Amino acid sequence: MLSTVLTYPVLAALTAVALPLLAFLLSAALGRRARSGSIAVASISLSLVAAAYVFGQVWNQESIRVQWEWFTVGSHRFLVGLTLDNLSAMMLLLVCVIAWPVHVYSVAYMKGDSGIHRYWAYLSLFCFAMLGLVIADNLLLMYIFWELVGFASYLLIGFWFTKESAVQANKKAFLVNRIGDLGFLIGIALVYSHLGTLDTEALTATPETFPATWHTVAGLAFFLGAMAKSAQFPLHVWLPDAMEGPTAVSSLIHAATMVAAGVFLLARIHPLFDGNTLMVIAVTGTVTALVAACFALTQYDIKKILAFSTISQLGFMMVGIGIGLFPVALFHLATHAFFKCLLFLCAGAVIHQMHHVAESQQHEIDPQDIRNMGGLRRHMPVTFATMLIASLALAGFPFTSGYLSKDALIVHTFEWAALQSGFAKVIPYLLLAVSALTSFYILRLLAKVFFGSFRVGLKDTSMLHEAPLSMRIPMVFLAACSLFPLFSMHPLNDGHVWLMQGLTTTVSSLPPLRLLHLAVPVLTTLATCVSAMMAWRWYVSSRYPLKTDSLPYRWSYNQGYLNPFYEWVIVRPLLRLSHFLFWMDLRIVDGIVNGLASLGRSLAAAASWMDMRIVDGLVRLSGKVAWWLGNLFRRLQTGRVQHYFTTVFLIILVILIYHIVVLL
Amino acid sequence: MIPYLLTLVIFIPLAAALLMAFVPAGKTGVFKYVALLTGILQLIVSAAMYGLFDGHGAGITDEQGYQFVNHIPWIRLDLGSLGQLEIDYFVGIDGLSLPLLFLTALVMVIAVGASWNVVKSAKGYFILLMILNMAVMGVFGALDFFLFYIFYELMLLPLYFLIGIWGGPRREYAAIKFFLYTLFGSVFMLLVIVGLYFSVTNPETGAHTFNMLHMMNPDNYVPGAIFSIGANHELVGISARLLGFIVLFVAFAIKVPIVPLHTWLPDAHVEAPTPISIILAGILLKVGGYGILRICAGIFPDAARESAWWLGLIGVVSILYGALVALAQRDLKRMIAYSSVSHMGFVLLGIASLTAEGISGALFQMISHGFLSAALFFLVGVVYDRVHDRDIYHFRGLANVMPRYTVFVAIAFFASLGLPGFSAFIGEAFVIIGAFNAESVNGMIPRWMALAGSLGILLSAAYFLWTLQRMFFGQTRLKGGDSWAAALTDASARETTLLVPMLVLALALGVYPALAFDKINASVVALVELIGGK
Amino acid sequence: MIPLTHFLIVSACLFAIGLYAVLSRRNAIMVLVGIELMINASILNLVAFGRYDKTLYGGQVFALFAIVLAAAAVAVALAIILNVYKFYKSVNPEDINHLKD
Repeated sequence: MLSTVLTYPVLAALTAVALPLLAFLLSAALGRRARSGSIAVASISLSLVAAAYVFGQVWNQESIRVQWEWFTVGSHRFLVGLTLDNLSAMMLLLVCVIAWPVHVYSVAYMKGDSGIHRYWAYLSLFCFAMLGLVIADNLLLMYIFWELVGFASYLLIGFWFTKESAVQANKKAFLVNRIGDLGFLIGIALVYSHLGTLDTEALTATPETFPATWHTVAGLAFFLGAMAKSAQFPLHVWLPDAMEGPTAVSSLIHAATMVAAGVFLLARIHPLFDGNTLMVIAVTGTVTALVAACFALTQYDIKKILAFSTISQLGFMMVGIGIGLFPVALFHLATHAFFKCLLFLCAGAVIHQMHHVAESQQHEIDPQDIRNMGGLRRHMPVTFATMLIASLALAGFPFTSGYLSKDALIVHTFEWAALQSGFAKVIPYLLLAVSALTSFYILRLLAKVFFGSFRVGLKDTSMLHEAPLSMRIPMVFLAACSLFPLFSMHPLNDGHVWLMQGLTTTVSSLPPLRLLHLAVPVLTTLATCVSAMMAWRWYVSSRYPLKTDSLPYRWSYNQGYLNPFYEWVIVRPLLRLSHFLFWMDLRIVDGIVNGLASLGRSLAAAASWMDMRIVDGLVRLSGKVAWWLGNLFRRLQTGRVQHYFTTVFLIILVILIYHIVVLL
Repeated sequence: MIPYLLTLVIFIPLAAALLMAFVPAGKTGVFKYVALLTGILQLIVSAAMYGLFDGHGAGITDEQGYQFVNHIPWIRLDLGSLGQLEIDYFVGIDGLSLPLLFLTALVMVIAVGASWNVVKSAKGYFILLMILNMAVMGVFGALDFFLFYIFYELMLLPLYFLIGIWGGPRREYAAIKFFLYTLFGSVFMLLVIVGLYFSVTNPETGAHTFNMLHMMNPDNYVPGAIFSIGANHELVGISARLLGFIVLFVAFAIKVPIVPLHTWLPDAHVEAPTPISIILAGILLKVGGYGILRICAGIFPDAARESAWWLGLIGVVSILYGALVALAQRDLKRMIAYSSVSHMGFVLLGIASLTAEGISGALFQMISHGFLSAALFFLVGVVYDRVHDRDIYHFRGLANVMPRYTVFVAIAFFASLGLPGFSAFIGEAFVIIGAFNAESVNGMIPRWMALAGSLGILLSAAYFLWTLQRMFFGQTRLKGGDSWAAALTDASARETTLLVPMLVLALALGVYPALAFDKINASVVALVELIGGK
Repeated sequence: MIPLTHFLIVSACLFAIGLYAVLSRRNAIMVLVGIELMINASILNLVAFGRYDKTLYGGQVFALFAIVLAAAAVAVALAIILNVYKFYKSVNPEDINHLKD
């Protein structure tokens, strides 16, 4: 039963999605003339308004479904439609709210770049794809937007396409994401096969319809998709490289929205997961969180630190899904979106300044290397303040939104673990450890960048100044959103978070452990303070006790040697296989064909030889025989009469004898 | 007028060829424009047919279901004791052939556009092109097996000359390899045709017939004849019907092409001039797929069911092998040729699944690949026309030199690797869905085949993106240095005009697949019912 | 009476001698002599058999014919030999071999 009624919320949602698409097309058509970005900014602003309207109409109201006929294959009608419920309305608004400041920020950040017209176009394309993803109502449509998001990411990572590292990074990103897309597609195929529908509302699986093994496989297949998109271990390797793109891109796509798409997908299809899949999700999330946090400890590229931080936080979100509480995961997604985006924007502001410094220096310095920075809080106070707020939110310090979401997550994980057995019991403790590591690495970053003194020798430090207004406004806005009031009236208790309350309608809750609500925050805050002290001691006072060439340090710094591992274990053997197969194709398969051809030619040569020598030979032989006989009889013609007489006489004699003998 | 549209579409090129034969050889312009006009006329007529086609007509076994049917008795010969020889001019279109017909018309126009700068012997070139055009249209329209075979063989001859005369350095080798390889397959097809002829009688006249539709109906078989269903004759130890299926399958499989019968393709594609590569990849490969669907599966559905597992295996091998070998190529054209092998593997996998989704996906993939490979080869031709070099390692950073061209290449590459929003995604997705579905629906092919086939999606991204990154991004460094940089002008108006329709169509089909699915669905469902799948 | 066989043997010997002369003499005149001997042997045969035809005297008549023919043959042959001698300067049949192959 199709509903195609276009009510205002539906129209608004469609507008929100369509505007960026139009902006993309317009920017592409205008080409170099669309340099100012006003089209993109205007479209996202209007989308924001529309999304806010949709949110207002749909949040905690009845959900809306609209569907249209798309195409028919066999006897199955495929529909295209949108679903507006709490989840999609929230995501719609979130994406717009994050995208808007990024657009404004980009005006100043990307100013003067020769390819800026492409930037605006790609950014609009991304927004279109992401917004479409969150309101899509069936898995096929979601997949389409899912891959389009990946495509937009490809375009944006490789934005500076003359830079070798950038174009290697975007290729890697797309390929790793494709692995996930395979999983998604397989999941779609399995769901279609067994449930007969791709509608996200109808994904209830029973043992009759969905045999157990295939049920788990389907769940894992979708999780594979989410793993790649949300950079879970071991498919996270594309995200650090994706930092090659402009920082504003990193903030929007690779921190707040695209990478969150995986979490969103899992939340959307959560009825489909059985216990095994959820356990795998939880474990993978934990491992990701831990490993990424370890890697972040030793990086000195400011964006890479933030990238690993993102991976780690995504791991947290996955744990939230894995314990069966997707509202918690989504709450963390929302808070993370704000403060991570802010972190990147601040990093961008710093990098922007460092570029000026780099240009003024004789020798090359990397503007993203935190070892070249220091003491910037004096020169960039607003950046410092906002980044501090964001960092505290990341670390889960009280009064920030991050505190609420991380607290909720860890506490609920403890509650979940209490019902589990075996390895699962360790998970919440690992999450606590990750929390501590998180505090450490982010405070390390703050210490090295904003405290101490500037490490590059400058004659004149006046070139280091605060970011321009159009960059500061988005940053301040996001900082405000990173504090608790946006999400809950109560700063320290996650029970009043309206977001989670709105999403918790269909999910069962775990038996609460009241004590933890006190213990966990205390522990995390303690860890943050300890980290702050350590960071001050090690990085500001430069009393660094560890050795930089020790094995753990090197393991962390080289990202667990995963990249070389993939290179040597997967990429190179694949290429070798490729070349081998090509050789085989050329020499063996084609060799057989050419061999058959040579065989044919030799057969032909043999037949020709036989024809010339044997068949024709017989013909010529008969001629020779005739000649020889003739030659023989020629000898009788001697010209001498007496010989002729003799011959005649002999013949008559023979005849006579013959007659006499026969007649007798 | 309307009933004769199909015959018109098939024979317009012949008329054009005859016209061209009377024009003296020097006037190159006349040939180009006549050919272009013919192509556009065909395109208009086939578009009209596409629009007029009623999506509810299923066709397949039912003559009433075919549209634009022309059924004219052609040869009627009394052969004494062998009965009455009946060969009809029987052409018609159903959901399987309609999109391919339109595809042919479009690709032919593109090919003529790509042939604009032919210098050597333009008269011969365009006449051969017109004959080829007619032959391919005839193949898709023919419903009498003898007529089909005539058109099928007729395709080979112009191609032999077109490759052998206007091709690259190893053109004679490539031409003769292509010709003999394909002929090898079709020669045995003739045996099966004759066998079928003697096994089937026309229910109306009682004489033996070449009519394909009668061959699809088990009631028409002479009891005890070699290919009759109940008799279970055996030849060389296997069932005669299975053997017939295998022979026909080999003939079409060479054209698809499947691994290991594919080695003619890289040579033919690489050595052929750009327009001929476009036709080869865009249309000719589809003849193979179409043949398997219409003839192998239509006439021998029981054998198709028996062989589905093998067909699936071959499909998977083709997908993976083609993709892996494409990854190892240096020559851009060769890489695209191998990618064609890989993409056609999807078609075979879809057919093997014997589900409506799989076969629809296979047909859609054929249509999509037609446009996209035509676009890809055309794009290769753009660079080759300018610097006569196609080696991927000789180019770097072309995006700086030819930005508009790079946009086209990027779109074409992403469309080909199956980015959603373009048609290739729909085709491949449904092939995989169909292949997955097969295990629960008709048990034809196991799920691991679908899994293995889906790896092809990953690999195609690998080689396309590698090529894109390698040739187009990064700092500009060309083997020919400045002389090349000067020669590499951006895409011209003619090239843009030819490329845009193909990419737009790929986008249109990707966004609104109903454009194709509406026309093909009824036929696919009927075919699946005939085969006994679901 | 003398038995017939005696005549026949004599005539056979004569014929053989004549044949021998024809086949092996190196002088054309001697070949003629040989021919004459062979003819005379046949004449002798005819006369011997003439005994059996007392009414028509066939043997005798045929013998007279043969004598005349022999004479004519010799005359012609001698004329031929004279002409041959004029051309070939020799009467040796071995030298007259221009019709050889």
